[in-house]
Amino acid sequence: MLGGSATDRALSGVKVHIMVFKLRRRAFLQMALGTAAGIGGSLRRARAAASDAAKDAATIGWPNDVPSWDPNQRFTPDAQPIFKAVFDQPLDQDPQLKLIPHLIKSWNLAPDAMSLAVELRDDVTFHNGDKMTTEDFRYTFLDRIKGGVKLDTANSWKKVQDIVIESPTKATMNFSSPAPTAPQWLAFLGSFVVPKKYIESQGLDNFLKNPIGTGPYKLAEYELNSRIVLERNDAYWGPKPKVARVTIEIIKDPSARVAAIQSGQVDCTLNVPVREVERFDKEPGFAAELNPITRVILLQVRADLAFADQNVRLAAHHAIDKAALSKAFYAGAAVPLSVPATPGTPGYLNDFTFKYDPALAKELLAKSNFSPANPVKIGLAATNGQFPSDYDMARAIVQMWKQVGIDADLQVIEYAKYFELNRASKLPEATLYSWDNGTGDPEIFTGYMLNPKMPFSAWKDEEVGQKVLKLFNVADYDTRIAGYRELNRFAVDYGASVPLLQSVLTVVHKRNLTYTKYGNGWLLPQTLQWT
Amino acid sequence: MIATVVKLMARRLLAAIPILLVVSALLFCVLRLLPVDPAAMSMPPTATIAEIEVKRREMGLDRPLPQQYLIWLNDALHGDFGRSIVFRREARSLVAATLPVTIQLALAAMVLAAVLGVGGGLVMFHVRGTLFEPLADFVSILLLSIPEFLWGLILLFVFGVALHLLPFTGQVAPGLPLPHITGFLLLDALLVGRFDVFVSACQHLILPAVALGLAFSPTIMRVLRSSLFDIYHEDYIEQARLRGLSEGHILLGHALKNASLPTLTLAGVQFGILFSGTLLVEVIYSYPGMGNLMVDAVRNADLPLIQTIGLTYCVVVLVINTAVDSLYVLLNPKLRVR
Repeated sequence: MLGGSATDRALSGVKVHIMVFKLRRRAFLQMALGTAAGIGGSLRRARAAASDAAKDAATIGWPNDVPSWDPNQRFTPDAQPIFKAVFDQPLDQDPQLKLIPHLIKSWNLAPDAMSLAVELRDDVTFHNGDKMTTEDFRYTFLDRIKGGVKLDTANSWKKVQDIVIESPTKATMNFSSPAPTAPQWLAFLGSFVVPKKYIESQGLDNFLKNPIGTGPYKLAEYELNSRIVLERNDAYWGPKPKVARVTIEIIKDPSARVAAIQSGQVDCTLNVPVREVERFDKEPGFAAELNPITRVILLQVRADLAFADQNVRLAAHHAIDKAALSKAFYAGAAVPLSVPATPGTPGYLNDFTFKYDPALAKELLAKSNFSPANPVKIGLAATNGQFPSDYDMARAIVQMWKQVGIDADLQVIEYAKYFELNRASKLPEATLYSWDNGTGDPEIFTGYMLNPKMPFSAWKDEEVGQKVLKLFNVADYDTRIAGYRELNRFAVDYGASVPLLQSVLTVVHKRNLTYTKYGNGWLLPQTLQWT
Repeated sequence: MIATVVKLMARRLLAAIPILLVVSALLFCVLRLLPVDPAAMSMPPTATIAEIEVKRREMGLDRPLPQQYLIWLNDALHGDFGRSIVFRREARSLVAATLPVTIQLALAAMVLAAVLGVGGGLVMFHVRGTLFEPLADFVSILLLSIPEFLWGLILLFVFGVALHLLPFTGQVAPGLPLPHITGFLLLDALLVGRFDVFVSACQHLILPAVALGLAFSPTIMRVLRSSLFDIYHEDYIEQARLRGLSEGHILLGHALKNASLPTLTLAGVQFGILFSGTLLVEVIYSYPGMGNLMVDAVRNADLPLIQTIGLTYCVVVLVINTAVDSLYVLLNPKLRVR
């Protein structure tokens, strides 16, 4: 019987519905479990694969992306190690920051520092196989700049009048005025040799999409604000990197970087909070470091407003307990500084100390008729989040000043606005600032800080200015360094410079992953090695 | 019915033009009123005041504000939104590269929020008048009071760090390629036949989408419950009971459909808010979307980029609202008659 009774048909319909529901429910549950298992399994497989490939790959959690893949375009100290993986600089620095040959085999700065003769290696090729020659060198440091490409290097190399090519490996840079730090700048911000033929034939936009350099890694993959994948350049002229593939995950949030290293999603990370370094150091499997680097935390001071009074400037300096700041914000690892130079760099003075002395600060203020009851009013600008504990440190300084009779109005500024405010003379008496100088050269510390003609300097004063400007033209290295050492002492005693601490770089990595420590804080992918 | 919807969409899109003009003008003026000099910001630190002046003239910043706006508008209508100060690339190309990532995340979060919101709303309604009602209320208020970035951190530490269940950085696992066809990674992975990339992208999407979804679901829950309360006072509910329909049938077959209309309106509004919520969640999860880009732009006072992203947010919200209104017409026969 096909149909049966109405009741039977109805019941059979109900059964079919129930069956369909059961089947659907079963299918749904199976699908859900399958998906969960798939995800779990895929994660396990991914971890297993990652473990197998561990010796040949490493992942770093990095705080910032590169601003552009044109390495000459923007001065970004944090991007320098990434650029150094893909591109090469004419000169390099060893871990102690001594200048060493790199693309340039030998160099000779003329006694008057008006020219620099260089000899390049003849075994260097770009990632596309093109040979690197002095044509590329000239293109990088002269032609691109004169050609009107908007590059930050246009300012660092504006003294270059000409680059005379003598052969594919020999050239001479001629300067319009003495350039005693030209060799240092060849290993500093933005000075990376780029491929002339490739950029001219492919265009700048294509170069930015598919950048090539002569560095130890090739850029294999790039996703804006997310990931940079580097693959070993097997044709590299120098020592080959030990790790074949390095992935740089851009993780801007410090807590997320901590979580990423904790969970094993990255093998190494930097710029994590100091308290996390202390915690990781106690955990098995991790190594955590607080590395002092060539970065100075200081107060950029003005020579006018309330700081026109030397007593007030010196009192402000004597009132700051730098050791307490270091202990409170850097676990004591940041070295208190008396001069604007870090230990081990040429401008540092071992025998000079500017003492913390609140009583003396009060005495100095009293000479100018100020006291805690009648405080001198000044402004203090600080960034919030630009470098570790910047704003908290500024608040602590305000409190220290209050004790001696300095009433500071704390203002938060954006780091990006520092230069604009400085140019317009809108900075207050003091600005808390972190000064990076990967070279360690005193010109790029004190020289730039106090040169009234440069935008880095908040201090605009003829007496100190003349001393600085003279040093910019001293060609002899020893004489120049001696001059800066003397200037460092004078500037601090004069109240033109208020250095506070040597900054530290926090690094957390798996214990079996090592890297070469550089005095300027570079964490170079090409130095990573699994042990 | 389709004709009504098309007409409505056309009307809405036409109305969007003056809205966009007003928003763009407001954005332009507000950004110009900020104490930031775009000419100075776009030059290297070593640039002199004279060089900045030249740049200022080049950028047209020496002209009156209305004239500056008209120049910008003319350029924008020709597809030129200016160059990013930070990235020194066309702002348009940066937004184009990151917008699909954010839309994908926001859609996934919205679907989750809708599922959780509707499910939670039904549960809350179901337990009304029972001992569980205060508990349901407490849970919904708790969910409501936790913002998306906090959910982001909580989920990251629980599922990423403590349980090691899910990844939480980027879009896919290191080592896997990122196919670029439409910009929507899930779709692109399927288009190139990379199931491994698809699975990895799903894994990476879960935590940020849940963080956003959890933050926005309680509003949907509570509105749905309130709507159901109202609808249960309508006569047709009582009539359904008299017809002998089960409570489940009445709820799911009759009341839910009508209660979903105000919920849908709310979801449309919520999507706009949720879209802006991607900002912090993308930073926490290193998700390379437009929110992440906006944080960079704001941090560096990159005015051309802020303006382009701001305008894009506005366009997305307008499009979503138009879509929701159209859906509303499709679901509500009364509006179709009119």
